Amino acid sequence: MSDLWGVLTEHLPEFSSGFFVTFRLVAIAFVIAMVVGTLIAALRVAPLRWLNLVGATYVEIFRNIPLLVLLFIAFAGLRRAGIPISPWVAGTASLGLYTAAYIAEALRSGVFSVGSGQIDAALSLGLTYPKALRRIVLPQAFRSVIPALGSLIIAMIKNSAIVGASLLALPDLLKEARQVQSQTFETNEVFFWAAVGYMLLTVSATLIFRYLESRFEIKR
Amino acid sequence: MSAAQLTYLFEPPNWEWVITGNNFTFVLEGFLVNLQLAVIGIVLSLIFGLVLALLRISKLRLLSFPAGIWVDVWRNLPLIFIILYLALAVPSSWRQAYADAIPDFLPDALQNELVLGALLGLILYNSAVLCEIMRSGILSLDRGQHDAAAALGLTYRQQMRFVILPQGLRRMVPATVSQLITVNKDTTLVSIIAIQEVVRHGSSLTSAGFFGGVQAPILQVFIMIGAFFVVVNLSLSRLSRRLEIRERRRTGTTLKRVKGLEDQVAAETDLTRP
Repeated sequence: MSDLWGVLTEHLPEFSSGFFVTFRLVAIAFVIAMVVGTLIAALRVAPLRWLNLVGATYVEIFRNIPLLVLLFIAFAGLRRAGIPISPWVAGTASLGLYTAAYIAEALRSGVFSVGSGQIDAALSLGLTYPKALRRIVLPQAFRSVIPALGSLIIAMIKNSAIVGASLLALPDLLKEARQVQSQTFETNEVFFWAAVGYMLLTVSATLIFRYLESRFEIKR
Repeated sequence: MSAAQLTYLFEPPNWEWVITGNNFTFVLEGFLVNLQLAVIGIVLSLIFGLVLALLRISKLRLLSFPAGIWVDVWRNLPLIFIILYLALAVPSSWRQAYADAIPDFLPDALQNELVLGALLGLILYNSAVLCEIMRSGILSLDRGQHDAAAALGLTYRQQMRFVILPQGLRRMVPATVSQLITVNKDTTLVSIIAIQEVVRHGSSLTSAGFFGGVQAPILQVFIMIGAFFVVVNLSLSRLSRRLEIRERRRTGTTLKRVKGLEDQVAAETDLTRP
């Protein structure tokens, strides 16, 4: 136990660089997930049947496939196919596209919670369908899905560890912790501090989303 | 993706590995190991989860408080983190004891002593998650159930056994089925600590020496592995949805979802399917 602080102070550079790699990975993947997720959600609620089908296929594939298998496909698979993809691109894209399927579903259910009267009203005012979606429906949908988004980003922080542990070997928090462990053999101490790092991320995400929830709560 | 890459994906020679030798059965065998691990993991997690849930809802703070911390710690850590930690931290004497104690009729993959760390990891994480799912099932019951049982003169233990648990646990079934989807996907993580399952089998197919001396194309192999998971998990999510709709119709209550789990969010949103 006396070594607990020693391990942290001695290996602070490794821990902090790993922490920021994890942070960056999550941040970039979250942006990808939001953009793609919104797009897929739009496909799923579009009035065209074949667009719905495209959206549904995306969701069912990406949310039922293990992230690790997705990483194999996106990194080793595409490289073998002649696409020189970097570990960072493969890692952020896989994590982002995986989470996008869930975000799309959350947004879609949010859109349905808005009520069809809203879109009918918008259309009758002469807005085009994409415009009605963008200006009327989506802003309301985003509000009602804030709790679900919070849950998904916490899940994504946890899933980000898979990227570092997989064949991509990004130097994230878990990877750095294993590196330090292999030098010092202080398994418990090293993993304790790495756990603190992950908790820091998940707890701050929880607090941010709790704030957003109260800030944008729909008062009816 | 350009046209050249698309033709690469579908070129018949690149799919020949599927019908060559027993490659297909080899991958399928690996996949069965994953399913077995998932089922064993969830059954054991249910048992430990129930114990944790009973501790957590206990009126004694001496029991409920530590149980709450335990559950919150394990379910907020990445599973792969837990598995890698246990792979290093579980003493070899335990692993040896496990290897000696495991009965022979269980599949070969479970005979490996490394499986202990993987199984413990799956159980630690998922029992914490299932504890929360059970707790939300139990808390969704009307307070009157407790009071009525108490008024009938039942002791706390009898209230739990005959009144609260039978109703509360029934309500958690759909959420448990969706958690099984997560567990199913998570079993691939044990490949990282060198357990022979579908990802390992797939990888060895794509290494030199297999496929009649030629490497099987890694893209196609893993697309097929992904397809296995999609088929099984898709059926599970349909099942979960059907159970949930039936349960909601029967009880008229909505369960509070456990946060921080992607497939719990998905199960919730599945219900708004038009």
